[in-house]
Amino acid sequence: MRAVLSIIWKEFVQLRRDPRLFPVIFISPVLQLLLLGYAANLDVRDIPSVVCDMDRSQASRGFVDGFANSGYFSIRARVERMEDIDRYLDNGKAAMAFVVPRGFGDKLAGGKQASVMIIADGAESQSATIGVNYATMIAGRYTQRVILDKFERIKASGVRPVLVDSEVRVWYNPELRSRNFMIPGVLGLILMIMTLSLASMGIVREKENGTMEQLIVTPIRPHQLIVGKLLPFVLIGLVEAAFVVAVAKWWFLIPVRGSVPLLFALSLAFMLNTLGIGLFISTISRTQQQAMFTTIFFIMPMILLGGFVFPIENMPRFFQLVSHAIPTRYFFVIIRGILLRGAGWPELWDQAAALLVLGAVLFFLSVLRFHKKLE
Amino acid sequence: MKPLSLRCLRPVIKKEFRQIRRDARSLMFMIFLPAFMLLMFGYALNFDVKHIPLAVVDEDSSRTSRDLVDKFRTTEYFDLKAVLGKTREIDPLMGREAIRAALVIPPQFSEDLLAGRSPSVQVIVDGSNAMSGTTAAGYVGAILQSYSQRITLEALERRGLAGFAVPLSQEVRIWYNPELRSARFLVPGLMAFILMVIVTVSTAFSVVREKERGTMDQIRLSSISPLELILGKVIPYVVISLASAHLVLLLGEILFGVGIRGSYPLLLLAMALFLTGALGQGILISAVTRTQQVAFLIAVLTTLLPTFILSGFVFPIRNMPAAVQAITYLVPGRYFLAALRGIILKGVGFGAVWPQFLLLVGFAALSLGASAARLRLGDEERPRRRRRVR
Amino acid sequence: MPEYAVEVKALTKKFGDFTAVDAVSFAVERGRIFGFLGANGAGKSTTIRMLCGLLDPTSGTASVGGFDIRRQPEKVKRVIGYMSQRFSLYEDLTVVENIRFFGGAYGLTRKALDARLPWLLSMAGLEGRERSLTRTLSVGWKQRLALGCAVLHEPRIVFLDEPTGGVDPASRRRFWELINELSESGVTVFVTTHYLDEAEYCNDIRLIHAGRIVAGGSPQELKTTVIRNPILEVSSDRVIDAMEVLQREPWVLETSIFGTSLHVSVGDEAEGRRLVRERLEGEGIAVLRVDRIMPSLEDVFIHKIEEHGGAAGAGEERP
Repeated sequence: MRAVLSIIWKEFVQLRRDPRLFPVIFISPVLQLLLLGYAANLDVRDIPSVVCDMDRSQASRGFVDGFANSGYFSIRARVERMEDIDRYLDNGKAAMAFVVPRGFGDKLAGGKQASVMIIADGAESQSATIGVNYATMIAGRYTQRVILDKFERIKASGVRPVLVDSEVRVWYNPELRSRNFMIPGVLGLILMIMTLSLASMGIVREKENGTMEQLIVTPIRPHQLIVGKLLPFVLIGLVEAAFVVAVAKWWFLIPVRGSVPLLFALSLAFMLNTLGIGLFISTISRTQQQAMFTTIFFIMPMILLGGFVFPIENMPRFFQLVSHAIPTRYFFVIIRGILLRGAGWPELWDQAAALLVLGAVLFFLSVLRFHKKLE
Repeated sequence: MKPLSLRCLRPVIKKEFRQIRRDARSLMFMIFLPAFMLLMFGYALNFDVKHIPLAVVDEDSSRTSRDLVDKFRTTEYFDLKAVLGKTREIDPLMGREAIRAALVIPPQFSEDLLAGRSPSVQVIVDGSNAMSGTTAAGYVGAILQSYSQRITLEALERRGLAGFAVPLSQEVRIWYNPELRSARFLVPGLMAFILMVIVTVSTAFSVVREKERGTMDQIRLSSISPLELILGKVIPYVVISLASAHLVLLLGEILFGVGIRGSYPLLLLAMALFLTGALGQGILISAVTRTQQVAFLIAVLTTLLPTFILSGFVFPIRNMPAAVQAITYLVPGRYFLAALRGIILKGVGFGAVWPQFLLLVGFAALSLGASAARLRLGDEERPRRRRRVR
Repeated sequence: MPEYAVEVKALTKKFGDFTAVDAVSFAVERGRIFGFLGANGAGKSTTIRMLCGLLDPTSGTASVGGFDIRRQPEKVKRVIGYMSQRFSLYEDLTVVENIRFFGGAYGLTRKALDARLPWLLSMAGLEGRERSLTRTLSVGWKQRLALGCAVLHEPRIVFLDEPTGGVDPASRRRFWELINELSESGVTVFVTTHYLDEAEYCNDIRLIHAGRIVAGGSPQELKTTVIRNPILEVSSDRVIDAMEVLQREPWVLETSIFGTSLHVSVGDEAEGRRLVRERLEGEGIAVLRVDRIMPSLEDVFIHKIEEHGGAAGAGEERP
């Protein structure tokens, strides 16, 4: 027991003494959050667009107005010819273009089918997808109006036009602020990067310096060594989490609808995973440089495959299976649940269980590898 | 300032290469990790929002309502997970993220339709995932719209008013990426992201390691100037990371069909500039930290999340508040990505991307210059005042 | 209490194809200073690491303090102290903090540590520098601090791996005084070194070369029994020329340069004296003195290595 406390105490002394480490650990997460809270934004509005109205009829103007007034598109330029569109799309000055060919209004009036063209800059396929969806929706609404108009005139025939309308209710995040979705995710990421890196590098550092040798020769048992080295990082992680939640709540006004103690408890389960991975990395690396590369190798999937930005259900089956072994997958659901949905133990117990089981396995495997030997 | 001498440069380059070669695992990582990441994520990641888990509460239970439910069952935009009996069953499912949208069909649905009234269904969307929330609402709207149209047209047909065409057809054209395959969009982004992180982090170690081991003094005492030291350290990594970048391009072409539409020399120039800047940043970090551990943390924190979020890789810069957009100029990945997309996907020439190039040059000059200055100033142990411990 | 503090039987360590330690056997009496001599890469550090439980032997057995190193490594660790080549102190901790940490690691209570602290500080000469960062200490001080930290828990046996590397002669001398003090208080000291002059301070020596023990005994024994042929020390102002001349002579067994004089190994002392003067003065090389000397340990060492067919000082590199 004495030994464990000695190690913990030593870690903290070393931490405080490094003039760079201390601020990096505690201030940078907050800075990151501030920055990313404002930047990580998936709301797509005011897509710069170009209009090429070759018909210039009342009908075509009505059509184009539907886009202009929707709030989704911001008409930057009106051009006469299709070739002029290139200029805008090539430079990225516009991401979408709407083309109304000549004869649009006449065709509609004559009861014939008219066509329009929607052009999107596929190089930014993410906003292109959304932009095309919006555009299709708006065009569809226009179609609806035309149909209804027609029906007004044939109401005599006793046909009543039918429209199934939808009333949309948004739960948990009524203004659909993507910040509310992003920031909890960023919290998970920061926690993961910090604790994983500290754990993997911290142990390898002693190996490289030669002090690990001196530690091994003492009667300290392996589990004491591990606990002593990792416990400070748990504490650091919790403090960081507290900072970040505070900033999220009072600066970004992210709702905190669920139980904060539960959040911290589950953060511990999450850290069991990240520290386990860090420990594992330290057992397979001889130098800090090796540890560093291996750490990146593990961090990347945790970010990209954990369901932070890219929905897991859109991934190929293989990756969906793999994501079950990725701790961030469960933690993201937990954070979003507790903060935004007010979820509690009854809703999240399965995610928590997954975290605990995964963490225990990871930790167990790492401890097995960690012998008190030099080789 | 001492002029650059090749004679002094060469030993530094040779030493750095030798050190790199000796650590086989790190070398392998540097060359293959980016390509491996591209492989993994190119297949795994896309921006399609499909298969949104959905639940339906059918309070009508008629043939018509079941017809509507079928529409949602068969579309690939939704994954129908459950058909529930009561609305209060929605909450626990959504709370657990088992579903992200729910459709409530009111009891009078088929009745209203038959009578020619316009019924309204309720769509509940999980806003905590704003992206799929908006999109889900949109999809529902589109599906309902086409359903409505079909019903109306059928009714008309029954009255013998066939041949009533849908007045509007829209042709959607996607430029540069016709099938809107996210991979084409992601590949340049991934390339910028992965290269930035790996390159900066690897070089962040190079100077600190010497400091930690104590060989720094030796170097400083020799006739090698700081600039030569930096260039000597940077050049091997530039070579290695260029090799790595080409591997990524090759894989991008073979596996994802992302061929280079524009000029290759231009692309090479962009890569070289970007890599140099990233390396410079790594060395700068290396010069201002004392331990490898801190160098790593700072390198990761200044490249990983910022590049991911601020370079335009995933989140369009256009949507960010003006203040944040200004900050994105500090992220070299931003201009590199813009140049990449232009050259690879759009095939534009220098005329379209020269601002990006200018900024890349600026970044490289800044980071290298700052590193040289810092190294010259030195990080000597200035005699400190005895610190009171406790 | 076992008679031998350390008993080693056919201890072997292989790294892949390379044999670093080849079936060494020896025993260390309690309370003695035991020296393990050899060039870099000869296998000294590997042996000491096996004895301390840092490496697993490939074959063979050893007992330290009565405990088997393979089956009871943790018990071994309780009774030994170890100082590594790199001193292994925490550079970013102060002197006192290092002491407190290692004390805690060895399970010393606060009280016990407080009692040991003054002794350690005075032993190392670090009074007044308790609050200094270890990084700022010069090598000699670090060395003594490292020794102190290794013996905080008053172990019966202490292993020192090349403790005087890179240390100035005055500090070296002081360090050996400390080792002597330890030995006098009953502690068994096991030292490895490649400085042959330090070997003189040991009670019992083993010479190790390319993983094998090539000679052993007290310094006195080694110097008198290993080399039978008399050695003459020849002082001259042109030592190198002298060596070239004498090397060609058939009656000269071995020659080596020692600073400004030549050690010549001959068959018969009187004959040798005469022939040396004759040959050298015949070539015009002035001979200042010719004395018979007792072989130094270095002579013994080189002799033994050449006997075992390896070039002096060339141990194989460890992988």
